Order: sequence, then structure tokens, then C-alpha cells
Amino acid sequence: MMTGGLDVLDLHHRFGDVVALDGVAFGVGAGEIVGLVGRNGAGKTTTMRAVMGIVRPDRGGVMWSGHAIEQGDRLRFGYMPEERGLYPQMRLLEQVAYFARLHGFDQAAADDAARIWLDRLGLGERTGDKLVALSHGNQQRVQLAVALVHGPELLVLDEPFAGLDPEAVDSLSQVLFERAAAGTAVLFSSHQLELVERICRRVVIVEAGRVIADGTLAELRARLPAELRVKVDAAPDWARSLEGARIQSADDDGVLLVVDPGTDPQTILRAAQAAGPVEHFGFETAGLVDLYREMVSR
Amino acid sequence: MNRTSLTRLVAGREITERLQGRLIRIMTLITVLVVVGGITIPGLIKGSSTPTRVGLVGAEAQALAPTLERTATAAKAKIALSNVSDGALARQQVTSGRLDAALSVGPSTARVDVKQSLDPTIRAVLQASVDSAHLRRALAQAHISVEKALPALTPVPLQAVALKPPPPDRTARTIAAIAAALLMYISLALYGTAVANGVAQEKTSRTAEVLLAAVRPNQLLSGKVLGIGLTGLGQLAIAALAGVIANAVAHSTNIPGSVWVLLPAFLVCFLAGFTLYAFAYAAAGALVSRQEEVQFVTLPLGLFLLVGYLLVYAVIAHPDATWVKVVSFLPPLMATVLPARIALGHIAPWEIPLDVLIMGVSIWATIRIASRVYANALIYSGARLSWKQALRLTDSAPTVKEPSRSAAA
Repeated sequence: MMTGGLDVLDLHHRFGDVVALDGVAFGVGAGEIVGLVGRNGAGKTTTMRAVMGIVRPDRGGVMWSGHAIEQGDRLRFGYMPEERGLYPQMRLLEQVAYFARLHGFDQAAADDAARIWLDRLGLGERTGDKLVALSHGNQQRVQLAVALVHGPELLVLDEPFAGLDPEAVDSLSQVLFERAAAGTAVLFSSHQLELVERICRRVVIVEAGRVIADGTLAELRARLPAELRVKVDAAPDWARSLEGARIQSADDDGVLLVVDPGTDPQTILRAAQAAGPVEHFGFETAGLVDLYREMVSR
Repeated sequence: MNRTSLTRLVAGREITERLQGRLIRIMTLITVLVVVGGITIPGLIKGSSTPTRVGLVGAEAQALAPTLERTATAAKAKIALSNVSDGALARQQVTSGRLDAALSVGPSTARVDVKQSLDPTIRAVLQASVDSAHLRRALAQAHISVEKALPALTPVPLQAVALKPPPPDRTARTIAAIAAALLMYISLALYGTAVANGVAQEKTSRTAEVLLAAVRPNQLLSGKVLGIGLTGLGQLAIAALAGVIANAVAHSTNIPGSVWVLLPAFLVCFLAGFTLYAFAYAAAGALVSRQEEVQFVTLPLGLFLLVGYLLVYAVIAHPDATWVKVVSFLPPLMATVLPARIALGHIAPWEIPLDVLIMGVSIWATIRIASRVYANALIYSGARLSWKQALRLTDSAPTVKEPSRSAAA
């Protein structure tokens, strides 16, 4: 199903004998923030490079607004590559404005936009400095300004949070929320799963060049066996012979049961009540970290 | 935004970055100083050449003064004569450096005292004057009038007829050939390296990937070459202007009009040579994994340029040799050899269209190969690549099938 925003279709790509992408497909709708998650070498960066036209996939393609992407479309995309890179000797304002110009702004509009974004990202006092004079974290902010300066309709950010302090993480998250609210499609990758969980509504998990999961956190949870914690004032033996559920662990907090999809929790509750007074009965909410581990280990 | 305006934007950034750098000011200053120095210093040395001071000892020698003056003028030698009363005093003045030579003439002897050695031209002037006086005196003693003896003494003029006379401005043309080749060699090596360094910097600082998200590799490449080329041309123009002004002020060399008309040909050769080499240097710069490797990967290109420059001296020595003609058709050597051959005037009319064709085809081929190497190698983040590896890195074209509009909607 096409989103009408960014649609990645069946991407295949090899580097020599190494299969980098093996049928990656997903979409990012306008106003949506999608997190791309996966271990190193899973294919996140190659996918993003293919979206930006830097890698030409062996097979498959990338669509924007329902058509194959042309160079004109890419001028309305903002990109932050995994390996950061800007001109070390160029002054911040000139540099950010230059990238705005490459994306079609005239000089005056480019200068204005560069000033606004540098200011917004806390570098308003340093517009005349050379990039090389900035700390690593501040250079990263400039990189972000370059990705944002032309008001892109699609943001592709490869590990944008890597190396940022908590304050910068908050301000970047805020920027992403604002851009999405304004209709920008946002695709970003991260290893910081708690961040992805906080920022994204949807997550795409890639593993060995394939998408192994794609959906909202709730949808992903529904695909996993539920974890049910039951505390009964009795030995955990009551739970050993349950149908459709088995014990994951047992301790002072009661037993943690893995419940197969389709099993009625009421039968479990009744079994618990039969064993003794029930002190706690509730499903554990799996975080993205758990979901990710579970998906990748399958 | 269309393709050319992106290229222009990239070129504009290159020019701005270079003009802001300190290196270009230093390089321009050095070039101007070398050019101005090269033109004015020989003029200053020549201008300061003082006449040879010759002391005439005794009445006989002093009687030679008018003959000496005439002979010296005819031989284009500058002498300053002074009378000295006796030989001891003259020798003392020569030793102390107040005189360069002291001439004393006897009835059948003549002697010139010098400190160390005598300039051959001055020696010839003195000899001719002494001979002439001796002859007149001998004729007078034999009672033969000079008028009678003169026809016998007048030498038969031997006329030398050059069947293939060198152009009258040969020296100027040779200098122009060397100057053009040297300038071509230095500027192509300099700006070629600048292109390679610029590309390597964008690659190693990973700026290339951000750029390639908005700009196509060929736009980036041509913008870079254009920007650095224009900067180089500007620098050359400043040096050339400084040279012309210095020459006008110092009146050092009278540059014949026939040399000035070579300038457009030189300019065309520079542009062609620069395009050929700049693209090759750009591709070389894209091969590196670290900035320090630029020197290594551009070495073969630098050697081609150096060989091309050195060959110019062989071209000057043997302008009509067959191998010179053959060599001047080899594209990497053409950039320096061709302007020299044009300057020397040893180029047949049929060769020019052939040269233009060969150069055009090589530029086209170089741009194609360089663009491919550049595009492939620029985002490759592994170790340094060989040319072959970079050419093979290429990905196949994407095979996206655009769904029908109804399906997309």
C-alpha cells in the first residue's frame, strides 16, 4: 500500500558478495515519524542512501508522492548522513546558506533561513565562526541545520541523536515533532531504542537486509506472546499445568507467564483463584527494547 | 533549479573559498614577483653595464684615440679612453681598478696591461686599431699612398645566404615557447593539485555525501573544475598583466607583434590542457581515503606534465624532427608541447585540425572516465582505490517500475 509520502519498494542491493538489502520495503506518510531500527550492518544506512539517491539499488526503487523520485524531488528532502561532513573552513552562516542555495533558495532567502535555523539550534552567536572552531556537539547542530534549512518535505536522518547531550536530544526531538506536525515525513535511524519509542509512533525493524517488523508499538506488541504477571499467595506449582501459557520466571513478585495468542486470560485467572488469594494480575507492557530483542532473536 | 545554475553555485563556492584563503594571495604574490623579476632584472644588469676604461700610454697610443672610438662604435662596444703619462702609473691604475686596460704602442710592438683578463670584443677593437695604425705607418714608410693601396686591402665581402632563414623574431619566439611551456606546466600542476585536494577534502570530510543528496556528481565535478580553473586563469591574468606593465616600465625586451598574436593560441591550449588535466586530477583525488594520499595518486599526472615540459627543449633543438611531430600528438604531452611548437612556427597547417580533433576526443574521453571514477569513488569509504577498482565499483541502474497513476491514487 502506497503512503503517498515516501515509499520504499522492494530494495535489493549487493556490495560485491555482501547482500546489503534483500527486499526492503516500507513507507513514511506525510506528518509521520518513523524510526528505522536494526543492528549494525542490517541495512539502515544503505536504505537511507538509496532514498537520497546516493546508492543506486540493484533492484527496486523509491517513490515520492506516488512517482519515482527525480532530482527535483530530492531538492525538497533534508538529509543527515551517518558520517557527518561539512566544509571545515567555511563559516557557519555561509555554509548553511550554501546548502539552502543548493536546494533552490536565492541568496537572500538562504541567508535568512540559515540565520533562523542557526539561531533556533543555539548557534546564533557563532554564525561568523568557522565550522572547525566548534565542538563536536555544535558541529552536529550545524549538520542538522543543513538538513533543515530548506524546509524539507521529507527528512532522512541517519543516527541524528548519536553524540548529542540530553539537552540537545530534547531540542532535536522538539524540532522533529514540530516538523512532523507541519506535515514533514520523518525517517530516522537510531540505536537508542528508548528514544525511538518516545519519538516515533511507527517503527521499522530491519535485520540482514529485510524488514522483519513494521508497525506501531501496539501492533508489534500484539504480534508477540503476551507476558502476564500473576501473584498468588501460594507456591507457583498451580501454573505449571496451564493450557496456552507457560512460566517464564517465578520469584517473590509472583510468576511471569508467557501467554499464547488466543488464550483466554479468564481461564488463567480462575486457575489462580483456585490456588489461593490473587494479589496481582496484569499484563506486562513490552518496551521497544524487549520487542526488538524478541523480533531479532526469532 | 537547473543543472548549470547548480554547477555555477558549486563553482562560486570554490572561488570564494580560494579567495578567502591565504595560500592564493601568497601564490599570486610569488608568481607576480617571479614574472616581474624575470623581466626587469636582466634589463637592470644590462643597463648597468659600464664602459671599459682604457688608458692610453704615451703619444703613439694617444694618437689612436679617434680610431679606437670609431672601431668601438662599429663593434658596439663601450669604451672610455683616458690619457696616462707613463707605463708605471698606468699599471698601478689597472691594479688598483681605476682602469680596466692600459694600452702602450711602440713602432712594431703593442702591449695592453689588464688586471686578469681582457674581454674578447675589447681585445678585437684594440687589435684592429693598432693594426690599422701600423698599416698606415708602413705604407707611409714605403711611400705608397693609402688611396692606391686601399682597393687591395679591402676584403672581398662574403655574402651568406640562408636557404631556410629563421624567423627574424626567433629569439623572442624561443623565449615565448619556453615561457609558455613553463607557465603551462606550473599552472596545470598547481591547479590540478588544487582540484585533487579539493575533491579529496570533500571525500575525506564526508561533505560529499551531504552534497550528493542535492547535487549530481557531474555537477559537483564540473563546478569544482570550473571554479578552480577560473581562479587559476585570474591568477595567470594578474601575473601576465604585471609582466606587461613591468616590461613597459623597464623597457626590458621589445616584444614583437608576432609574439603577441600567439597569446590567443596559448589561451586555447591552456583551457584545453586544464580541462584535460583537471578532470583527471579530480578523479585521482576521489580515489584517496586520506588527504595525505593525494600526493601519491597524482604523481603519474605530475610526471606526464613534467615530461611534456622537458620535451619542449628537445622541440626547440629539433623543431622539424619526425618524433617531435609524433610526440606532439600524444594528448598528455600536447598541453605543453603544442604551444611551444606554435610559438616556434614549426607547425604545418594540416596539423592544427588534427590536434584539435585529438584534444577534443581526449577531453571527452577523460571527462567520461573521470566522472565515472569520481561518482563511484566519492562515497566509497574503504581504503584507497585503484583506477580499475573505482571504474568497476559502479552500480547497475535502478529498475523502478512506476505504478500506474490509478494504482498510486
